[in-house]
Amino acid sequence: MQEEKQHVIPSTMNRNGDQQVVIIGGGPAGLTAAYELITRHNIRPVVFEKLDKVGGIARTENYKGYYFDMGGHRFFTKSKEVQRFWKEVMGDDFLRRPRLSRIFYNDKFFHYPLKPFNALMGLGLYESVLIMASYIRWQIFPYRQEETFEQWVTNRFGKRLFLTFFKTYTEKVWGISTSELKAEWAAQRIKNLSLKSAIVSMFVKPNTKITTLIEEFDYPRRGPGMMWNAVKEAVERRGGSVQLNSDVVGIHRQGNRITAVEVACNGYRQVVPGDSFISSMPVTEFIRYLDPPPPKPVLDAAHRLKYRDFLTVCLVVNKKELFPDNWIYIHDPRVKVGRIQNFKNWSPEMVPDQSKTSLGLEYFCNEGDELWTMADEDLIELGKQEIERIGLAKYEDVEDGSVFRVPKSYPVYDSEYKEHLETIKEYLATLENFQTIGRNGLHRYNNQDHAMLTGMLAVRNLMLGESNNLWVVNAEQEYHEEIAEDVEADPEVVTEVVKEALAHIFTRLDPLAFGLALGLILGLAVFAATALLLLRGGPVVGPHLQLLSNFFIGYSVTWPGALIGLLYGVVVGFVFGGLFAYLRNTAMFLHMAYIQRRSELNLLRSLFDYI
Amino acid sequence: MPERKESLEQLVLTRVMRLNATIHGLVFGLVAGLALFIATNWLILKGGPIGPEGEPIIGPNLWLLSQFFYGYSVTFVGSLIGFAYAFAVGFVAGFLIAQIYNWIVDFREYRARRSA
Repeated sequence: MQEEKQHVIPSTMNRNGDQQVVIIGGGPAGLTAAYELITRHNIRPVVFEKLDKVGGIARTENYKGYYFDMGGHRFFTKSKEVQRFWKEVMGDDFLRRPRLSRIFYNDKFFHYPLKPFNALMGLGLYESVLIMASYIRWQIFPYRQEETFEQWVTNRFGKRLFLTFFKTYTEKVWGISTSELKAEWAAQRIKNLSLKSAIVSMFVKPNTKITTLIEEFDYPRRGPGMMWNAVKEAVERRGGSVQLNSDVVGIHRQGNRITAVEVACNGYRQVVPGDSFISSMPVTEFIRYLDPPPPKPVLDAAHRLKYRDFLTVCLVVNKKELFPDNWIYIHDPRVKVGRIQNFKNWSPEMVPDQSKTSLGLEYFCNEGDELWTMADEDLIELGKQEIERIGLAKYEDVEDGSVFRVPKSYPVYDSEYKEHLETIKEYLATLENFQTIGRNGLHRYNNQDHAMLTGMLAVRNLMLGESNNLWVVNAEQEYHEEIAEDVEADPEVVTEVVKEALAHIFTRLDPLAFGLALGLILGLAVFAATALLLLRGGPVVGPHLQLLSNFFIGYSVTWPGALIGLLYGVVVGFVFGGLFAYLRNTAMFLHMAYIQRRSELNLLRSLFDYI
Repeated sequence: MPERKESLEQLVLTRVMRLNATIHGLVFGLVAGLALFIATNWLILKGGPIGPEGEPIIGPNLWLLSQFFYGYSVTFVGSLIGFAYAFAVGFVAGFLIAQIYNWIVDFREYRARRSA
């Protein structure tokens, strides 16, 4: 990772003595930046949001009093800063909710994260035997190269388990074959995969708070939208502005500075000048809207970055309870739905009438494809049919429905994206008064908390002159912990100290050096023992030490024998010392490989949390 | 955080371990001392055959150590003396092994750096 900095030149003041900070996008990143600017630095920003509500891709839709969280957003984070933000904004409106999410496959529910024994029991004896046989076969003869996601998982779980639990859902989410999906993507999505983390976890007590929060999570009473509305109100109460239905359709540029944005609102266009600009709009759109446009390679790169979209078919079911899960992964290939949210289990207040249940059937698609363009009524019909087909609810119990589309939900990590993103990053780094933030602003698969962190860090860059690299937030596990104000020690230093300590424990023992050292000492010991007996003398000198000649042919308790013994000692010590060091290194290497593999398997069990 | 630092993987695969000579010496010394202490007392507890003069013959082979460890005997007091001797010898041996090992590793790295 190269050291990149967001070049932000502190801007001039406007007539009120404020910087005019323009924020594009009212999602988690943009609103967090606005909130931080106004509460910590007394700067009143103006936020432009394209939709009629805030929250971006973490918004909560409302249909006849039923709240639908687009995607389902659990609130848990390692960042104390984000945690503080949530508590500050939401106060007691957070609920602590238990998590239950299972996999639905072959008309059966399977624990999630995957528990091998439960999976095998659920699949039946015959299938279990086949899965075990497949696992053994792929352990013995794995793919030599792990280039694709399919190869990567198969080498760890076997082909049959891969086909059962990984292939269908992953292909539903990404719309491409798992044999085309790069293995690199899986490694990027699974955090803590490094050897360091695996080894550290052996010695350091795991963060029980995070573990607990994965089993249960915080959630606003009426979904994430409740929080983003509260943030919007807080910003406006302090004099900031959050303008909805305001689509930024042009970015005016003079040289390396952005001068204004062109905003379309209710059929009118206005040009809003500013000193500093923070954008969470998709970086591809930002590049396209630049006027004058950037160099052609940058435009081309922006054109080639891809997204995956999804739509939610929201159904109101006339049943008090359907299933206990917060959400269910649908691996069943008979239906197109990928995931089903049961919003009442996220929070009872998501449903206005407790005798009914609201479900969100999530279909992953591409903007403009058959599913995306299907009429809402047809999608609701499809949802009703599929929910009955998989037996989670009856067709006739569905009494109402609505459809919400979420474009550009997931940045696609295809084989070319890195190269294109690099081109864009290089260009954006030349803009002096601009920072891009958020999931789509950075084309990075950030969760809500990471998106918020990019907003916070952008504000610190702007107001405090810091040089936080927003592109690496979430790329390194420790990064987002760095801005925590109340940590006892600098986490970077702690990480380095731990790494150094571990490096001392796990580094190689030099077989040659250890063999020589042991050989020399052993040789000297034999020599010294022989010499001591010779110096003591006696009628029969050292009859017992003489027994060494059984092994050291030619050795005797004489002065020449002492020298021969010295040589023998050196040779034997060298061989044993070298062998010991070699075996110790091998054992350590195998042990580390085992730890890493075990860590990978544990994380793979919960892979769907990351895709 | 920039990638200016080596990853643990790199450290583990490229670095060669250094041994702490004092700790190495202490561990060797303690193991050797305890081994002799336990061996001696084990033989005492086990007892031995009665000799021609009515005295039990305990650990005649271990007794040979007294050729090197003056004052050592297969008795409880001897086990304490043996512990002290073995600890001292073990400490010196362990310390020297680690020290010589470190010198050789330093020398090899120095040579490798020069030839690089």
